[in-house]
Order: sequence, then structure tokens, then C-alpha cells
Amino acid sequence: MINSAIKTVLLLFLSVLLGCEGAPLPPEVMQAETREHDLWKADAEIYAPEDYKQYKSALRNGKDLLAKEKKRFVWFRDYEPIRTEFRHILLHGSQALQEIETQKQIKSRSVADQIAFFQKRISTIRGLSSLINEGKVSCRSLTKAELLLSELCLLNQRGQYVEAEKKLKSLPHYTARAIEAISPILNRYADATHIRKWRDMVNDTVNLSKERGIHSIVVSKVDKKLILYHKGAPRKTYEIGIGTNGSEDKLYAGDRATPEGKYYITKKMSRSRYYKALLINYPNDDDRRQFTAAKKKGLIPKYAGIGGLIEIHGGGKSGMTYGCIGMENDQMDELFSIVDVGTPVTIVGTVEYDNNISSAIKRL
Amino acid sequence: MRRTSVKLLLVALALSVFLIGCAKKPETEINNAKAALDSAIQEGAEKYAKEEAKLLNDDLTAAQDEIKVQDEKFFKNYDKAKEMLASVQAKADSLKAEIPARKEKAKNDAQAALDAAKTAVADANALLAKAPRGKGTMADIEALKADAAALQDSIVEVETLMTSEEYFAAADKANGIKDKAAEVSAQITAALEKKGKK
Repeated sequence: MINSAIKTVLLLFLSVLLGCEGAPLPPEVMQAETREHDLWKADAEIYAPEDYKQYKSALRNGKDLLAKEKKRFVWFRDYEPIRTEFRHILLHGSQALQEIETQKQIKSRSVADQIAFFQKRISTIRGLSSLINEGKVSCRSLTKAELLLSELCLLNQRGQYVEAEKKLKSLPHYTARAIEAISPILNRYADATHIRKWRDMVNDTVNLSKERGIHSIVVSKVDKKLILYHKGAPRKTYEIGIGTNGSEDKLYAGDRATPEGKYYITKKMSRSRYYKALLINYPNDDDRRQFTAAKKKGLIPKYAGIGGLIEIHGGGKSGMTYGCIGMENDQMDELFSIVDVGTPVTIVGTVEYDNNISSAIKRL
Repeated sequence: MRRTSVKLLLVALALSVFLIGCAKKPETEINNAKAALDSAIQEGAEKYAKEEAKLLNDDLTAAQDEIKVQDEKFFKNYDKAKEMLASVQAKADSLKAEIPARKEKAKNDAQAALDAAKTAVADANALLAKAPRGKGTMADIEALKADAAALQDSIVEVETLMTSEEYFAAADKANGIKDKAAEVSAQITAALEKKGKK
């Protein structure tokens, strides 16, 4: 009798402890936990920090409610309010995920736009540098900017927009340095006073050709063109190459710049290191004055000479020279046969106010 | 009959005391699991196994929630919580053991990318050395030299990242340098060919 009573008590305990697990947890509980992980994976902390904070807090409250419910004796547990609570949490999570997606799209577009902007800017600066043969001063910065851009593209592809935005901040530094390096050269070609001076020089030369019925030569450095005039009218245009630093005005020996000014042919050399050559009278009086003034101001090396032997020569137009004007050999033959010693040669930066450098500067 | 009732009451009481008394809060297990997770994080889990570290952290929170549930119960049973904590500890230990290999792999990948970048820059420099010098040099050679100099500068930046164990960033930068160096080499080759034809 006693034994059976003990067995009954034991069975009762066991059934309470083991047999009565009660109703299963609502699936929304697990789903809400999974959604929390989804939010974390989607970088909610970055793109929707407030929503994420609220979600985690709601999840915590939901779990506390669940714990409270679990505390009840299995027969009295009611998960319906928990289910409702977790449905709300899930809805909040879905909205947060949508918000994150929207934020990411905005960031992605913004980063892509800025990448495109800087790619265009770098390309413009490279084009300008190449136009004035000054790649050597700008390319170092531009290449660093391009390397940064390649990292940015990678970050954008991976959806690491915040890191991309951080890196984007250093790009203007590199492009600004590149622009700074070429600006002093470029600005001359957008300066109306300078261009007016060049135009006057060209007009004088053309008028001289007209008045005396002679040939004269005008070289436009920015267009890389040599125009042969006869009796004041353009007779032929040739494409040319100029000095390594050809876009600058020559100041001293070894600066590799092509001089600007009014010159004339002093010697015709039918045999030259560069096929045929027409020597001009660089340095003229203006060049000497400029040289002396620059030396006084300390703008040129202390022991530098003024230089000389500036020629229009053959050997090709695509190479860089030490400051001379290079032409294709067949065109050199033609020009050589037309002009004489004494033919005026005027070298200018440009005669157009809207030249390709001034237009490109506007795009910067 | 009265003796039987007393006996029954005593048995029930003994069982209750047994059940309640045995349910001791798993403090040691909590501390062990936390320590294991902290140790894995210190090893670099958040950098080299970010998602796994987060999941383990979630598991630890779940185990703590389970303890909280049991804390409030009359008949406490921490077995499930202990199981969860043991799992967290085991997984954290195993993750910690994996981190050095992952770190090593990231390092090796970054080093390989750096080596490839160095080779590509050296190739570009070798080509530049062959480029025609002096008067008549192709107009873009000087610019390409500046490109190559910038690449050389950037190699130094990658080496700095390697020293500070920023292997992923180092690999990205090195890959960019390699691609750009190949581009520069192609341009030099084109310039040399153009020159050769003249």
C-alpha cells in the first residue's frame, strides 16, 4: 500500500518534470532572432543605428516576456500574447531592413557618382598635362589618385560604402596637387592679357609678310602648329612637336622650354643632326632682358646661361625636344625649300582666347 | 494510515529538496564560456571570423536568457543552460584555434599580392630603363616615369599596412598597384614600339 502510494507520488513528479513540456514556442521567436542577425549582417549599426537599437530593445523586451511566460506552470502558459509581440518585432525588423537597403542604395549611388566625377577629373587633368607635355609633374599625384579610385571601386562593389566614403575624402588632395603643379603653365593660356600680347605679335608678323610680300612663320605652341604665311595670307600649316617643357616660355639653357617671341631665320642647315634645320636668333634682345630680370629675382639657377641653338628641325613631330620645333622630314624638306635666311619666325602660346587649354581649365 | 501520510509527505519533501537543491546556477560555466569567447576575440575573431564571433556572442546571450528563465522558476533546471554554455565554450575554443591559420592565410595572400605588385612595378621600371632618352624621347615617357614613381611610393604604403597587420587592406592596395603597373608597362611597350617604327 505504502509502496504504491510512493510510486504514485514519484510518477506525478516525473510527469510534471518530464511529460508536460507544454505548448511549443511560437516560431516568431526564432524568426525574430534570425532577423536580428540579418540586420547585423546588413550593417544596421551603420545604416539604421536608431532602428537597430529599437529592434534590439524590442527583442529584449519580447524575450523577457517570454521568460516570464515560461516561468508559469506548463498548463497555464499562453504564448498568444508573445506571438503577437514577436510579430510586431518582426515587422519592425522588416522595416529596418528596408530602410538599410534604401540607405545603401543612396550611399552606393553617391560613391559611384563621386568615383565617376573623379575619373573624369583625372582624365581631364591627364589630358591637360599631356597637352602641355607636363605629365611628369602631375602624374605622380594622378596615379596615386587612380590607385585610390581602384580601391574605392572595390569597396563599392563589396558594399563597404562607409569605408569608401572615408577614402573618397583623400582624393581631392591628389587632384588638387596635380592641378597645382600644372596651373602656372596652364593659366598663361587662359589669361586674356597674355593672349592679346601674343595676338599682337602674330599680327605684326603677318602684316610684315603682307607689306614686304615675303614669307613669314607663325608657331602656335598650344595648337602644335606651324603656319607659313606668304604676302600676309596663310599658305601652309604643319604639325609640330615642341620642347619637353615646351608650353613654358624659355628662360635659360637646359629648361627645355620653347621660346616665345619675334625671331628670324639666321641660318639654313641642309645637314643637321635632326635631318635639316633652320636656326633662329634666340636669344633676342627681349629674351636677354627677360633672362637678366629672372636672374635678379632668383627665378633661375645661379650659374645657368641663357642658352641658344633653337631651331626648326626635322626628325619628327611626336618627340619631345630640348626647346626646338620638330617637324616630319618630308614637311621639313618643303618648308626648307620655301623659306630663306631672314624669314620672320614668331612663336606664341596661342592666338585664340578660347583655346583647348582655356576650355579644359573651365572643365576642372 | 497517519504514519503512511507522514512518510508520503517526507518523500515528497525530500524529492523537492533534492530537485531544488541540485539546481545550482552555472556560474563557473558562464565564466568559462565568456572567457573562451573573449580569448577568441582577443586572438582576432572579430577581424578574421566576424560572423562566427557574432553568432557565438548571440549563443552566449541565449544561454544567459535561459539561466534567467530558470532563476525565476521554483523547480530550477540549468541543464539546458549548461549545455548551451558548454557549446559556446567549445565553439569559442575551436574558433580561437582556427584564427592563427586564417590570419596566416590573410598574411600570405597579402604578401603574395605585394610580391606580384613589386614584380609588376619592377617590370615597368625595367621597361622605362629601355625607353629612349634625350632629345626625341616620346612625349609620354616622362609622364610614365612619374606614374612608376607613384607606384613605387604606394608599394611603401602596402609594406606599412603589412607591418600593422592590415592584411586585407594591404592586399587590395597591392592588387591595384599591380594592375596599374601592368597598364604603365603596356603604355611603355606601345611607346617603345611606336618609337621603333620611326
